[in-house]
Amino acid sequence: MMRAQPRGTDGSLLSSLPWTLAALVVALAPHVPYLSFWISGAFVSCATWRYVIEQQRRMLPSRWVRGGLALLCFLGVFASYSSISGVGPGSALLAIMAALKLLETRKRRDQFVLLFISIFLVMSSLLREQYLWSLPYLVFGTLIIMTAWLRMSAVESESAKQSLRTGGRLLLYAAPLAIAMWVLFPRLATPFWSVPIDTSRAVTGLSDTMSPGDISSLSQSDEVAFRVRFDDQLPQPKDRYWRGLVMTSFNGRTWRGSEPRIAAPAGEQLEFAGQAYSYEITLEPTQQQWVIAMDMPMEWSLERTFMGPHQQLSHVTPIEQRVAYKVVSYPEYRVQTGLPRIFRRYYTELPDDSNRRTASLAREMRQTVANDKQYIDAVLAMFHNEEFFYTLRPPALGSNSVDAFLFDTRQGFCEHYASAFSVMMRAASIPSRIVLGYQGGEVNPLGGHLIVRQSDAHAWVEVWLEESGWRRVDPTAAVAPERIEYGARDAALDGIGISWGFSAPSRLLQNLTMTWDMLNTKWNDWILGYSPDKQKTFMEWLGMENPSWRKMLLTLVFTVIATILAISAFMMLRYRPAKKDQASILYKRFIRKTGVERYIGETEQEFAARVMAQCPLPPAAIQAVTDAYLDARYGAKVAGAVEKLRKAVAAIA
Amino acid sequence: MQRSSTVEKIPSNVSAQRDALESARKTLGTIILGKDDQIALALSCLLARGHLLIEDLPGLGKTMLAQSLARTLGLSFRRIQFTSDLLPADIIGVSVFRQDRGEFEFQPGPVFSQLILADEVNRATPKAQSALLEAMEEFQVSVDGETRPLPTPFFVVATQNPGDQIGTFPLPESQLDRFLMRVAIGYPNEASERELIAGADRRSMIDEIESIAGPEMLLELQSSARKQAVSEPLIDYVQALVRFTRASADIETGLSPRGAQALVAAARARSFIENHSGVFPDDIQAVFPSVAGHRLKPAGSTRFRSPAELCQHVLDSVAIP
Repeated sequence: MMRAQPRGTDGSLLSSLPWTLAALVVALAPHVPYLSFWISGAFVSCATWRYVIEQQRRMLPSRWVRGGLALLCFLGVFASYSSISGVGPGSALLAIMAALKLLETRKRRDQFVLLFISIFLVMSSLLREQYLWSLPYLVFGTLIIMTAWLRMSAVESESAKQSLRTGGRLLLYAAPLAIAMWVLFPRLATPFWSVPIDTSRAVTGLSDTMSPGDISSLSQSDEVAFRVRFDDQLPQPKDRYWRGLVMTSFNGRTWRGSEPRIAAPAGEQLEFAGQAYSYEITLEPTQQQWVIAMDMPMEWSLERTFMGPHQQLSHVTPIEQRVAYKVVSYPEYRVQTGLPRIFRRYYTELPDDSNRRTASLAREMRQTVANDKQYIDAVLAMFHNEEFFYTLRPPALGSNSVDAFLFDTRQGFCEHYASAFSVMMRAASIPSRIVLGYQGGEVNPLGGHLIVRQSDAHAWVEVWLEESGWRRVDPTAAVAPERIEYGARDAALDGIGISWGFSAPSRLLQNLTMTWDMLNTKWNDWILGYSPDKQKTFMEWLGMENPSWRKMLLTLVFTVIATILAISAFMMLRYRPAKKDQASILYKRFIRKTGVERYIGETEQEFAARVMAQCPLPPAAIQAVTDAYLDARYGAKVAGAVEKLRKAVAAIA
Repeated sequence: MQRSSTVEKIPSNVSAQRDALESARKTLGTIILGKDDQIALALSCLLARGHLLIEDLPGLGKTMLAQSLARTLGLSFRRIQFTSDLLPADIIGVSVFRQDRGEFEFQPGPVFSQLILADEVNRATPKAQSALLEAMEEFQVSVDGETRPLPTPFFVVATQNPGDQIGTFPLPESQLDRFLMRVAIGYPNEASERELIAGADRRSMIDEIESIAGPEMLLELQSSARKQAVSEPLIDYVQALVRFTRASADIETGLSPRGAQALVAAARARSFIENHSGVFPDDIQAVFPSVAGHRLKPAGSTRFRSPAELCQHVLDSVAIP
C-alpha cells in the first residue's frame, strides 16, 4: 500500500495506549493523597495531551520542549519536597518521569518502560502503608498492568476482555508461587534495608501537650489507636484506663509532659495487689515515644522501653511502625508513698498570674474541710452537684482557661475537668498531675479483642496523698459516670452519648465495622506480623522438624519447581492440539521443510506460489502437498486424504 | 489454478453441470474481456442465489455483463432504467380494468423476469427502490392484496454510479445488505481494450450467444453449490474474520451474523465454480472484498481509504487456522 510518510503519529498505539494510561493511573492512585497536587495535575495533563496527539495524529513535542519540562518538573519536586530522596519525593519523581515518558512514547518499547514504571509505583505504595485493602488493590493493579502488557502485543482480533482474562489467568498461575515465596522465604528479625518513613503524613492521636479542645477534636475520629487481646478475662469497663503520657507542668492553659529535674527510679516504688491481667497490645504508629499500657503495668515485653519517673512507659525512639507487645497489669496498686519535698513542690507548681479565681476558690474550699481526702471529695461533689455539663463541643476558653471554665462556661470535655481538677488540687498544695491516655474500648464480638479508638482518648488526674501515694481520680466520672461505665461508643449507641455530641452509628454499620476490624486484626496478626517466630511455629505446624532457614529455602525451591511443573503440565494438557488436525500438523511440517515463513492471512495457494518462486523444491511436489492438505483439511470427507498428504510431505526432502 | 484430480468419481449430472459452467465462463470471457475475476464473482453470486450490485462508472460494461449473463444462462431478461420519477407500479405492474370481461386484470411489470438489470438504482426515489428491494428479499410481490411469486431463478443485477451525488438517493446500509455482493468492474487492461476497440461489435456478439444452460440447469447448479462442504477449521476462520471486523479500531460496525452467512454462501458458490473439494480459505478470501466491502462501516479514524483496502487489511491481519 502506498502511503505518504506520516508526519505525526500513525495512530498505531491508539488501541493499547488507553490501557497503558489506565495502568499508570491505577499505579499512581495510592500515591495521590501524598503527592503535591501539581504533580497529579502534571500527570493528568501529560496523559491527556499524549492521548490527543495519538488520536489526532499530531506530532510529539520536540526534544527541547521535553527537556525543558523535565528540568522544570525536577526543580518543582525539589522545591516542593526540598529533597529528592525518600518515599515522598521518590514517588513524586516516578510520577513525573511517567508523565514525561508519555510525551516521547512512540513505540512499543517506550510503552514497556511505562509499564515498568507503573509496576514500580504499585510496589512502592507498600512502602507507605500495608493495609488489608492494599492486597486486593495490588492484585487489581497488577492485573491492569498485565492486561496493558498483553494489549500491546495483542493481535487486533483479540478483544480487551480476552486480554483481561489472559492477564487474570497469568496472575492465577503466579498466585501459588507468590504464596509459597511469602510463607517459606526465611523471615529476618531485622529487615535488609530500612525505608525512610514518610513523616509528612499527619498522625491522628494524642500529642505530648494538652490544651482545652485537643481531646474533644479527637473524639470524632474513628481511627483505631490500638487493639488489645486479653489472655483470660477482660477487666471491668471502669478499670480500663489506658495510661499514655503523664503531664506535670501547666502554664495556665496548656499542660506539658516535661522531664523531671531529678531522676528517680520509678518501678521500685510500685506495689501491686489483687487481680493481674495479662494481655497483648497491638499499637498503631503514634510518632510519639510513650507506650500505652493499662493502669498500672508491671511487666512489658516491648524492647527498649522503660518506665519513667511518672510511671510513664517510654520507648527510646518514636513508635513509627505498628508494634505488638505483651503486658501484665494490676488495676490495684500503690505507688510512691514517700514523695520528697522537692517533688511535692514540683507537682504543686502553678503559674502565679493565671487562674486566680480558681486558686482562691480552692483555698476557700480547703479551709472548710478537715483533710486533703475530704477536699478531693468536695471538689468532685462540686462537679457532680453543680451545673456542669459534659459535652464534645465546649465553648472556646481564653488564656485563663480554668477560670473561664469553672466560673463562666461550665461546659467541657474530659480535658477541661481534668485540668480544672488538677489546678484546684495544686492550688490547695496537693501534688497532682494529668494522665493522658484512653479510657474504655469496645469489645469486638467476632475477634474477642478490645478495640480502642482515638475517640476513646481521655484525660484524668492523679493526686498524691501521704498515706496512699499517687491515686487516680477521674473528675469526668463525677460529671458523666456513663462515659466511664460504658465507654464513649456504647454510650453513644445507647443514646446517652448523643447529648454529649457523640453520633450513634447504626447497628448494621456497627456490625460491618466489627467485621472489618476483625479482618484487619487477622491481617495485622498473620500477614504483617508474620515474624520469624510465627514462621517457625507455622513450619512446625506444617510438620517441619527444627525449621531452619536452610530447610525453608530448600522447601521453597522444591515448591517453586513443583508448582511450575504442575502449571506446565496443566497447560500442556489443556492446550494440546486436537487430534483430528493431523492435516494441520503435517502441513506445518511442510512449511518448516520449505524454510519459507507463511504470512498472516496468506492462503495455501498463495503460499505455494511463493514457495515455488523462492525454493528449489520441485513445483509438482509443492502442488501435491497443497492439494492434499486442502482436501484433507477443508474438503468433503475424502478417504485417504490425510495419508496422501503424509506421503506428499514425506516426499519432500 | 486448475484442479481436477480430487473428486474421484463424478456422477454424470455433476459432470454435465461442470461442462455447462466451464463453457458459460468461457463464453462470458469472450465478450467481457480481461475480467475473469468479475465474471467468476458474478457467477458465484448467481449460484449463491444472491443479488449483485455493480458500482462503477458508465461505459465499463455493466449492462453488457448483465445481458450476457442472461443470454448465456438462458434467462428471461428485462432492464429497468431507474429515474427519479419511477413509480413502484413501473416495476411491479398494475391491475387494469377490462371492460369486456368486467374485471381487473394484472399486467405484470418488468420485475417478473428471471434476470433484471436495475440500471442506476440510486437515481430513483426510496419508494421505488424499496419496491425492487422487497421483491429481492421476498422473491414475491404483493399487488392488490394478492401475493404473486416471482419466477425462479430470480436474479437482480443493480448498477449504481458512484460519482453521482446530486439528485441521487444512495441506498441505506440496511438495503445494501440485500445485495450479496458489490463489485466494481474497472477499466480493462491495455490488451483487452485494444481488442474491444478493434474487435467485433459486442452487442451483436451478445445476440449471437447461444444459451448454454436453461433455468433448470441453473437451479441444479445452485443446489449443488449449496452442498459444498464447509469444514470446522473453515468455520473457525470465518469466525475469526468476523470477530476481527467487530473488534478492529478501524471498523465501526463489523459483520453481522447475516454477513457471515452471506460470506459462506458466496464462498461455497465460488468453491463450486473452482471445483474445490470443499470451501477453502482461498474461496473465502476471493469473495470477501465483494461480500464484506459494502457491509463494513469504516471508523472515522481509519487510515484505509477504500472498502477494498480495509478488506485487504482484515484478510492480512487474521491468521488462517
